[in-house]
Amino acid sequence: MHFLNHLMNQNAYSLDTTSKLLFFKKNLNFLTTFHYKRSSIYKSYLNGLNYKHNNSKNLSEIPFLPVRLFKEFDFLSIKKNQIFKTLLSSGTTSSSLSKIYIDKNNALNQIKVLQKIFNNLIGSSRLPMLVVDKQNINLNRNSFNASAAAISGFSIFAKEIIFLLDQENNINYEVLNNFLKKNYKKKFLIFGFTSNIFLNLIKKIDKNKVHIKNFSNAFLIHGGGWKKIEEEKINRNEFNKRLNIKFGIKNVKNYYGLVEQIGSIFFECNCGYFIASNYSDIIIRDKNLDICKDGERGLVQLLSLLPTSYPGHSILTEDIGEIVKDSKCKCYGHGTRFLIHGRLKNAELRGCSNI
Amino acid sequence: MKVNNNIEYLVGKKAKLTSALEPFNSKIINLLDDLSKLLNNDFNNKNFPDLKALSFFCRKKNILSLKNKHEIKDSIRFGLGLLFHITPSNIPTNFAYSLIFGLVSGNSNIVKVPSKKFDEVEIICKSINHILKKKIYFKIKNMITIVRYNKNDNELTKKYSAICDARLIWGGNNTITDIKKFETKPKNIDIPFADRYSISLINSEKFLKLPEYKVKNLVKNFYNDTYAVDQNACSSPHLVLWKGKPNIKAKKKFWLYLNDLVKAKYDPPLISTIDNYSRLASDVIKNKNIHSFKSLNKSLYIVTLKKLYPNLFPEKTKWGFFYECNIDNLNNIDHVVNRSLQTMTYFGFSKKFLHVFFKKNNFYGIDRIVPLGQALNINLIWDGYDLIKILSREIEIK
Repeated sequence: MHFLNHLMNQNAYSLDTTSKLLFFKKNLNFLTTFHYKRSSIYKSYLNGLNYKHNNSKNLSEIPFLPVRLFKEFDFLSIKKNQIFKTLLSSGTTSSSLSKIYIDKNNALNQIKVLQKIFNNLIGSSRLPMLVVDKQNINLNRNSFNASAAAISGFSIFAKEIIFLLDQENNINYEVLNNFLKKNYKKKFLIFGFTSNIFLNLIKKIDKNKVHIKNFSNAFLIHGGGWKKIEEEKINRNEFNKRLNIKFGIKNVKNYYGLVEQIGSIFFECNCGYFIASNYSDIIIRDKNLDICKDGERGLVQLLSLLPTSYPGHSILTEDIGEIVKDSKCKCYGHGTRFLIHGRLKNAELRGCSNI
Repeated sequence: MKVNNNIEYLVGKKAKLTSALEPFNSKIINLLDDLSKLLNNDFNNKNFPDLKALSFFCRKKNILSLKNKHEIKDSIRFGLGLLFHITPSNIPTNFAYSLIFGLVSGNSNIVKVPSKKFDEVEIICKSINHILKKKIYFKIKNMITIVRYNKNDNELTKKYSAICDARLIWGGNNTITDIKKFETKPKNIDIPFADRYSISLINSEKFLKLPEYKVKNLVKNFYNDTYAVDQNACSSPHLVLWKGKPNIKAKKKFWLYLNDLVKAKYDPPLISTIDNYSRLASDVIKNKNIHSFKSLNKSLYIVTLKKLYPNLFPEKTKWGFFYECNIDNLNNIDHVVNRSLQTMTYFGFSKKFLHVFFKKNNFYGIDRIVPLGQALNINLIWDGYDLIKILSREIEIK
C-alpha cells in the first residue's frame, strides 16, 4: 500500500498519538472498504451485521473480526493464484487451524516492518543466532505453522543460525559449544518460544556440558505466551532472573504477536511494556465490547496497516490485556504501551449433559 | 497402551459385583435419605445450590413418590448387576445422580468422576463414606465404588468395560464414540446420553394476556431453565418458537423482561463475550435463514430465523444465545423434532392438547415435554429412557 511507503523512511516508533490516530483512522477505513469490495465473505460479515461503512468512522468503530473465524472461513482479498504463502496457526480453543493467505507484497511488507522494529531493538547489523528449537527439516515453502513462520521471520536478521535441539528434542551440546566458542565474545541472538526457552535453557540444559558458561553478550528474544508452562507458575521476572543467574543473560525481550495479523509484533521495552509500532495498534474492550479505560483489563483488539491480501486489519483476539495508564515510559519512541495477561481460558461451563 | 496406576478411590476400594437388589430397596432409600440430610445439614454447603438440589432430589419423600409413580410395582425385578458410569467433566454433581439411578434400580456401581477436581465431588464422596460406616449399610457398602482417573487412561476404562453389565455414558457424542470402542460382555447394555438440544414453545396470545407478575414469573422460569446453567444443559432451550398472531409484541415483551433479569443477575466469564460474538459473526456469514438479530446485551443474543426447515440445529448455543422463529402451523414443528431434540418446554398450551398432538404425530425425536421452568428437573425417566426398567431385569413367572 502506498501509505506504507511513507512510513518506511521513518523510525518505527515515530508517530505521536495524534498523528497516529489520524493516520490509522484514514487508512483503516480505507482497508475496510478495500476488503469489503474484494472479499465476499468479509462483505457478508459486514452486511450481516448491518454495518454501514463510510470513510469517516472512528478507530473504535472500525469493525473487527473475531479471530476464531479464520478457522472456519477462508478469508481472501486476492485471487487464489496470487497466494504466495499460507500461515497456519493452531490458534485458541479448538484444534482446527487458522489459515492466513499472504501475497508477495504482504510478505515483503511484513519483512520490512519486522526489520524496522528489529533495527530499533538491536541495531542493523546481522548477528549469529541460536534457535532454541529443532530445525524444521520438512519445511514447506508455501505453508508455515506458527513456529516455522516465527523462526523463518527472525532468521532473516541472522548471520548464522544453529538449532539447539536435534530432531528428537535433545540438546545438541556439540553444536552449542562450537557456536559459543566462535561467537560468545560479541553480541549474539538467542531466539525461541517462551516455553522452549524455559524447558531447555532454564531447566533441562546441563551446565557441566557447556564449555562457555557466560552468555552475557546474548540478546534473548522469546514469545508465544506462557500458557504451555502455566503449571510451572513462572512469571516474567522469575524467568528473566533465572536466565541471568544461570548464564548471565541480561538482555531478555518478550514479544507478543498474532499469526492471524501480519504487522502486529510488539517487543517488550525496558519498563516491561509492549509497545505498538507505527504499523499497528491496540484497543482493549470490556465484556460488552465497549472500550476500556486505560489501566483496565479486557479483550485485546489488534489493528494493523499491513494486511491487504486478507481482511485482517482489525481482529478481536482471545487475549486479555490492558493499556498502561499514564505511562512515563520513553523507550523506543512513541506508541501505545500495554501489558498482556494471557489468553482467555476455555471456561468450565455449568450444565452440559443434563442436570 | 500405557498402563497407568493413577487411580484414586474416592469411595470403596475395589469394584465388585455384590448381589443385585430389587429396585427401590428400602435400605438404599434410607441411605439416600441419610445422604440428603447430611448434605442439607452441613452449613458449609449453603454456597452450593447444586448440592442443595441434589439433597432435595435424594430425600426419602421424593424417592418414594418416584416409586409410586413408577409402574413396576407388581413384577419381580432385580438390578442388572454391575454398572459402569462415565460422567461428564463439566458438571460436578452429575455423577451423583447417575449413581442414584444405579442404586435405586438395584445395581452395584463403578462411577468414574471427572479428572478435574470439584469441591462438590469431594463433599459428596466424603458424605457417602461417612454414611457407609454405619453397620446397617454393611451389605450395600460394596455396591458403591467411586474412582477418579485421567480420561486418557484407557487401561482402566477397558478393564471396567469388560466386567460391567451396563454402561451409562454421559458427556456427549465424542465420549460415547470413544467409550464404545472398548469391548464389553455380550449382554452389556450401553445407555448413551448424547449431545442434545432443546426448544421452547410459547403461545403469544396467552402470554400477552398474562398479568404483570405472571409475566415476570414466567420469564424467571425461563431464566432458571437457561442462565442458571449457562444455557449449556442439553435440556436448556436453544430455540424459542412463537405460536400465534401477536408474536411481535409478545417477543418484544418477553426478551425485554428477560434482559432486565440477565442484566441484574447474570455474570458470565469473559469468554462468553467471545463465544457469543464469534457465533453471531459466523452465523451472519453462513446462515441464509437469518431474518434479523438483536443483541440486547452481550449475554442475550436473539437471532430471528425466517422459517423452520428440517434438521435446523447442528450446534448447541450457550451463554444466552437464542434462536427464535414464528410457527403459524404447529405441524411445522416436525422440522425441528429430530433425533437430537431432547426437551420442549411450553407455555400457553394444555397438557392434554400436547398429549394428543404428539401422540398423533409419531415424531422421530423429542423425549420430554414439560412446562417452562422445569427444563432442568431430572427424573428417573431421562433422555427417553426409563432408567429403572432399563437398568433392571424382569423375572417372568407364569
